[in-house]
Amino acid sequence: MTLNQAKEILEAKVITGLDNLETEVKIGCASDLMSDVLIFNKPESLLLTGLTNPQVVRTAEMADIKAICFVRGKTLDEKTIELAKDKNIILLMTHLPMFESCGRLYKKGLVGLGYLDINKKNG
Amino acid sequence: MAEDKKFTKIQELTYELKIKDVMTKKVVTVHPKKPISELREILYKKGISGTPVVSKGELVGLISIEDFIKCLAQGEMNALIEEKMAKKVETLYADEPVVHAVRKFDQYGFGRFPVIKRNNKKLVGIITKGDIIKGLLKKLEIDYHEEEIHRYRASHIFEDIIADNTTLTFQYNVVGKDFDKAGESASGLKRTLYRLGIQPNIVRRASIATYEAEMNIVVFTDGGKLTASVQPHQIKIDASDSGPGIPDVKQAMRPGFSTAPEWIRELGFGAGMGLLNIKNCTDKMTLDSKVGKGTHLEAVLYLN
Amino acid sequence: MIELKKIVKELNLKVITGSSNLDKEISGGYASDLMSDVIANSKKDNIWITLQTHQNIVAVAILKELGGIIIVNGRKLEEETLKKAKKENIPIMVTDIPTFEIVGRLYRLGITGMM
Ligand SMILES: Nc1ncnc2c1ncn2[C@@H]1O[C@H](COP(=O)(O)OP(=O)(O)OP(=O)(O)O)[C@@H](O)[C@H]1O
Ligand SMILES: [Mg+2]
Repeated sequence: MTLNQAKEILEAKVITGLDNLETEVKIGCASDLMSDVLIFNKPESLLLTGLTNPQVVRTAEMADIKAICFVRGKTLDEKTIELAKDKNIILLMTHLPMFESCGRLYKKGLVGLGYLDINKKNG
Repeated sequence: MAEDKKFTKIQELTYELKIKDVMTKKVVTVHPKKPISELREILYKKGISGTPVVSKGELVGLISIEDFIKCLAQGEMNALIEEKMAKKVETLYADEPVVHAVRKFDQYGFGRFPVIKRNNKKLVGIITKGDIIKGLLKKLEIDYHEEEIHRYRASHIFEDIIADNTTLTFQYNVVGKDFDKAGESASGLKRTLYRLGIQPNIVRRASIATYEAEMNIVVFTDGGKLTASVQPHQIKIDASDSGPGIPDVKQAMRPGFSTAPEWIRELGFGAGMGLLNIKNCTDKMTLDSKVGKGTHLEAVLYLN
Repeated sequence: MIELKKIVKELNLKVITGSSNLDKEISGGYASDLMSDVIANSKKDNIWITLQTHQNIVAVAILKELGGIIIVNGRKLEEETLKKAKKENIPIMVTDIPTFEIVGRLYRLGITGMM
């Protein structure tokens, strides 16, 4: 799924990375806790989260995640946007809640992980 | 830099660069009350195909070589410029991003647009497609070169050193409870490792481990130090603080165990997965802690 | 509307507590790991998807009269959470699957998440 498609499905706004919407995402990752995102460790994923602080972008940076979609539309911290620009991370924002966002993307073919083995070596 | 990366970089620059960064500032202009014949000199000798018409600093029209040729054919060389110029002129503002100019060139097929100031309509420059390309290339080259030079220098560092044993040490100070700065150390280290030419997936694992260690220092202590020692065969990450310490290290390592208070969870931390994450991302990890003394974490990643 | 019982069966969830309380109808889904968010935005009889295992989840479920909680990523419940949930007969289910995927499967069963 391209981010352009994800954007349409989620009725989302593009905050940064307008020119990179052809980027492919393969997996959906929905979480509000950052270590959970890091243990998930799938660089090709689209991260959906209800948090909007700069640490979300930091986390994406560390995990080489290229795109984040903030759910349940809210105002963004300027620092979050600046950091995303600096790190080349694409930010989307949808007014939909997390559950609905995941559901719609899933219905249109974006999959999640079927099983998470938290004791598996990361690499 | 890979080709596709370069391409998106250019697209990004068209948003980043402003028209005033790439436009030609020295503009040849003509006065509306002058005769058409005066254009001969300007258009021929300067080799330009059109020029803004300016009165008291303000843009009033645009006159092109086509207009000039038409007058020439009809023997109207004494007509005033203001009679023959185009009065409805498409312009661009100096503070608009370059991408707006790109779109406008596409839309109108013109060769140039006068650039004016948003507040007072004063002419400040002129922009052609050539200006855009030149401006982008210049900027791209600077950015590209800077990163490339860093990368080149750094990745050859081990080869240039003659010694039986070499260790590069990078140290970062982590400030406790400062959520604005949190992550900067890991970010700095990530960039450094990348420049050293270390494999991207190893860089990622090292970054994740460092970030988790950094966040623990930020969340649970008043500050500490992160040290990365890079050797030709391994990266060692050291995180130490003189914070409260961990009463039961085994328990702390258990997935889901966290003493983070509710407000920390609301910031997205406190899943109780950090230490496990560090263990999973590295090849060797040890955690020593004494209550009231502090915590010392050491993790090693092997570079094949 | 769909009964919690049916969800448990279809998605192969492991019921940890509240197994005698699975007859209720679920009004929709809410996925979040932030307590304040769930307190502010979840609705009565929602099924809540989270990876939080802290005892506060039970308090929030009672407060908001949620239909049940699904814990993802195979997370183990904390002792206190278990005790409280048993006492209040709150259905808590566990799955090894992460949030995105489990929500997708719930959505396929017809549970939506509009506010
Ligand atoms: N440097 C430290 N000083 C004191 N206590 C620590 C330190 N690092 C970890 N701990 C303790 O160990 C627990 C587990 O740490 P871990 O990093 O695994 O999870 P967390 O930080 O609570 O949550 P997460 O990392 O998932 O955001 C912490 O909750 C804390 O009690
Ligand atoms: Mg931690």
